[in-house]
Amino acid sequence: MAASMKCAWARCLSTILLNSTKHRCQISQPLYASCSNISGDSGEGGTDQTGQEAGLADDTKKHRRDPGKAFTDVRVQKILLRLTGLDLDKVYEYRAAKGAGVAKVALMSDQQLKKVYESASYKALRKLQMPPVLGAREPIDEVLSEDPELEGLNTSKLVFIDISQRVPLKKRTIVVREPNGTLRKASWEERDVTLQKYFPQSGRKIGLPRMFQQDNLECMLDDGKHEYILNRACSQFEIDDPEYIRVTQRTYEHIHSNGKFEDLRSTRHFGPMIFYFTYYKKIDKLLVAFLEEESLEDSVDLVKLYHIVHPSCKSAEKVASMPDPTPLEIIGAFAEMDATQKSLVQQAIQTYEKECDSTDSTQLRR
Amino acid sequence: MALAIRFALFGCTNRPFFHIVVMEKRRAQRSGKIKEMIGSYDPMPNQDNQKLVAVDFQKLQKWLGFGAVPTKHVAELLGLGGFYPIHPMSYIKAKRKRKLMEKQPADMQAKEETQETAAIQVNEDTQPDSTEDASQ
Repeated sequence: MAASMKCAWARCLSTILLNSTKHRCQISQPLYASCSNISGDSGEGGTDQTGQEAGLADDTKKHRRDPGKAFTDVRVQKILLRLTGLDLDKVYEYRAAKGAGVAKVALMSDQQLKKVYESASYKALRKLQMPPVLGAREPIDEVLSEDPELEGLNTSKLVFIDISQRVPLKKRTIVVREPNGTLRKASWEERDVTLQKYFPQSGRKIGLPRMFQQDNLECMLDDGKHEYILNRACSQFEIDDPEYIRVTQRTYEHIHSNGKFEDLRSTRHFGPMIFYFTYYKKIDKLLVAFLEEESLEDSVDLVKLYHIVHPSCKSAEKVASMPDPTPLEIIGAFAEMDATQKSLVQQAIQTYEKECDSTDSTQLRR
Repeated sequence: MALAIRFALFGCTNRPFFHIVVMEKRRAQRSGKIKEMIGSYDPMPNQDNQKLVAVDFQKLQKWLGFGAVPTKHVAELLGLGGFYPIHPMSYIKAKRKRKLMEKQPADMQAKEETQETAAIQVNEDTQPDSTEDASQ
């Protein structure tokens, strides 16, 4: 099958999925809402998705605390999905795992093949669901009762968990009676361990797996096992766990310093990685990488994403004031005003323009 | 017959483990006539120095509605967990232990707790509680 036709189907399908109400990119929104502190207020509940500029404000303190609001914005999700792409060969790459079967070989007509491709693309988009990027969860600090007269009754803590049926894990009550008599809600760490004991989730270990300890993590990263680390982190931790954030951010930084962005392309971690760089204003190297590949679309998408996440940045204002900016003008504005490595980005733009001039101009995508 | 919410001792030698069950009060705990298991209590502290108690509170409330009565020790445990007010015996035991600690070194505390586990076991077998009087 010609690569361009595969690509066209994938694009068509993803557009359909993005626009259809049934499969809207709202995966992160309810998840984000449920990730609020279990004891505290579920405060920012209904975030409306149309231009929630307040959530994307440039107030750096607010910013660092809560990337979740920006991440769940529909515009951001659409761009991230576009950037991730859909490489069927990569998504359906053989992985040595339990239940992985032998590949089937079949003789099919063109029509049958088309149907198979469509259903495979559909399923692949589900595999590409992005784990949300959230701020670290607020520690649980609620004391239910102080009973100093119980001092001396126990030398150990008593941990009570409610094992009633059909209660979501995040809402399960877990309390601890300390030896000094205080009855308090269990901390996040205690919760994670206790829930894993009574309601075990596959792929999770009780306590921190040795792989995620700093030294071992570095070894894994040097071996180039970025996707594996991110996949395992996803199954081991809750997405707002400070450990998860530490592991994923370290992985992204390692990728950044080695420039191996394409390793994660067409995986479910590409979107969160791009979002991380955009949120923390580190997209220069990424932009240069896209331009070197001569994918103008991706470069413009990245800059547009930057403008959505940081709406009050200088280049966003400039682009907004321009009547009908071309892709190169948008990237140029960013390079001039907001790039931290200005010369690097401008050089990359110039190289790209030269390449385009030397080849046929019809190869320039929209 | 008196329907009770009580401990049923499982586990093995030197390793007690209690199921919190609904069954008739005077029956032998391993007779197999348990109406429903609604939780567990592990009296031996784990690596993080925790004793784990799991209770299905929905079922507990249902059986309380049917007229089941928690035994002394179950009521104490639920009191410590915040479901019931704290049992007066918890305060009394705590005071006794504090008094003992003033006189004797810390390793006596652990001894008291193993004796208490035995007390629960003996109690659920509906025999007079002799060990507690001995410790006074």
